[in-house]
Amino acid sequence: MIFSQIFETINTGLVVLDKEMTVRHWNRWMALHSEISSDEITGKNLFEFFPELDRPHFLRNCRSVLTFGHFCFFSQKLHQYLFPMLPAGSLAEEFQFMQQSCTMGPLRNDHGEIENLYLSVQDVSEVVSYQKKLVHMNQIDHLTGVYNRNFMETQLQKEIERCQRFKHDLSLLMIDIDLFKNINDTYGHQCGDFVLKKITQRITDKIRKTDFLIRYGGDEFCCILTETPTNSAFKVAEQLRQVICSEPFVFKETSFETTISLGVASLNENDVDVESLLRKADTALYKAKQNGRNTVANTTR
Amino acid sequence: MSDIVPELFTDEEKDILQEVMNIAFGQASADLAEVIDIFVILSVPEIHVLKGHQLPGYLCEELQSSGTVNIIEQGFLGKFSGQALLIFPTGAEKELLTLFNQDQELTTLDIDIDILEQETLVEVGNILIGACIGKIAELLSDVVTYDPPRLIAKDYCLEDCQQSPVPAESFAISIRTVFRFDQQNVEGYLFLITNQHSIDWLKKALSTFLESFE
Repeated sequence: MIFSQIFETINTGLVVLDKEMTVRHWNRWMALHSEISSDEITGKNLFEFFPELDRPHFLRNCRSVLTFGHFCFFSQKLHQYLFPMLPAGSLAEEFQFMQQSCTMGPLRNDHGEIENLYLSVQDVSEVVSYQKKLVHMNQIDHLTGVYNRNFMETQLQKEIERCQRFKHDLSLLMIDIDLFKNINDTYGHQCGDFVLKKITQRITDKIRKTDFLIRYGGDEFCCILTETPTNSAFKVAEQLRQVICSEPFVFKETSFETTISLGVASLNENDVDVESLLRKADTALYKAKQNGRNTVANTTR
Repeated sequence: MSDIVPELFTDEEKDILQEVMNIAFGQASADLAEVIDIFVILSVPEIHVLKGHQLPGYLCEELQSSGTVNIIEQGFLGKFSGQALLIFPTGAEKELLTLFNQDQELTTLDIDIDILEQETLVEVGNILIGACIGKIAELLSDVVTYDPPRLIAKDYCLEDCQQSPVPAESFAISIRTVFRFDQQNVEGYLFLITNQHSIDWLKKALSTFLESFE
């Protein structure tokens, strides 16, 4: 009596299946979220209602629970969900389906033999949503919406390793807004923020989806160009230079011009790590500044 | 079986333990082939009993690799309870993913390959640990429940490891076995970390097991 009440009222989906995948029990949580009542589904094959579960991976786990009597865990990270259900409340905007963490385990008869198995379904949408926000906060620059330095360090490391392994090209642009301090001093910090946002927008529109734009520091940006040799990187850098200087910026009816300087560095055998590549790009940027700003340079030309 | 902790088991108990493991692993091996549709061979397990603090040095020596490993941990609770540690050298996750995803079911999902490999490692670990412990428990008339498995160490360098992954005073029954999937060699080590209480039970269970043949 107590246990059946718990079975029905617990805030977890509970399903009991027999070896033929016939539904033996289906608790109210399952009925509520799947919109399939217990009467409808009990005694029927689970796959009639959820054909997408009839796949090798799910069946393998069922067999393994029935054979070894252990538990199988369907992690949200891998599966997202087992039973397609609508997410509750405001999470519907974020997820098409409720994110679930599911467990499957054996149920034994009086002789200790495994006769049935159970599935428990837990709604973890809220947790996943927080995780996503945390990852986002950890990787994205709040003001401009492009990646932050923290993200760059891990991503650049990955890209360098990949390129070294497969002998692919990789280039890096170091970008600095010329005389940015003057903008802040003349038009105020609000305008400075506006320029940072506009510049990242213009750059983002010009680069490929596979490239990464990063806010490296105050007015310094960095662009990881995947699969790009020096010559092409120079072309991209030149395009970026032009897209910034070609059109004035307008902030609260004030129009003014801004330019950027770019340093180009490409990965070669001498660059063993993130630091050496960054240093090279930095040196190139310094040269571009020395050449009179609004220019593109690398360490050799 | 080595004598690192000689006082713990008598020679006869060691023999029975080895025998129980042989049977358990033999059955697990046969059942695994059926359950996961992949032909698996579990080598005859080599059993050693050691103290928790001896584990890092022992692992280092056994694995003889300057490379790194991934460690999956799973708690199990029965009359015989403790933690199971499954250790694979780094890189095994790639081979396991290939093997366990022959129908390409998982790679069609939009998931980062690192996460996919990690989760595969954890899932495969769950099955291997469950199969081995489940069979041991069955032979010794125990029923065991499990915690979710966790990847407790990724690309972990054993040589750097000063600290044991288990309490220094606990007992570790190390069961070294080589998992061979189809033709691919994926070497894994299974360790059962347990406590005095479980060892006492295990001794009784072993003698009951022997009596059933007399």
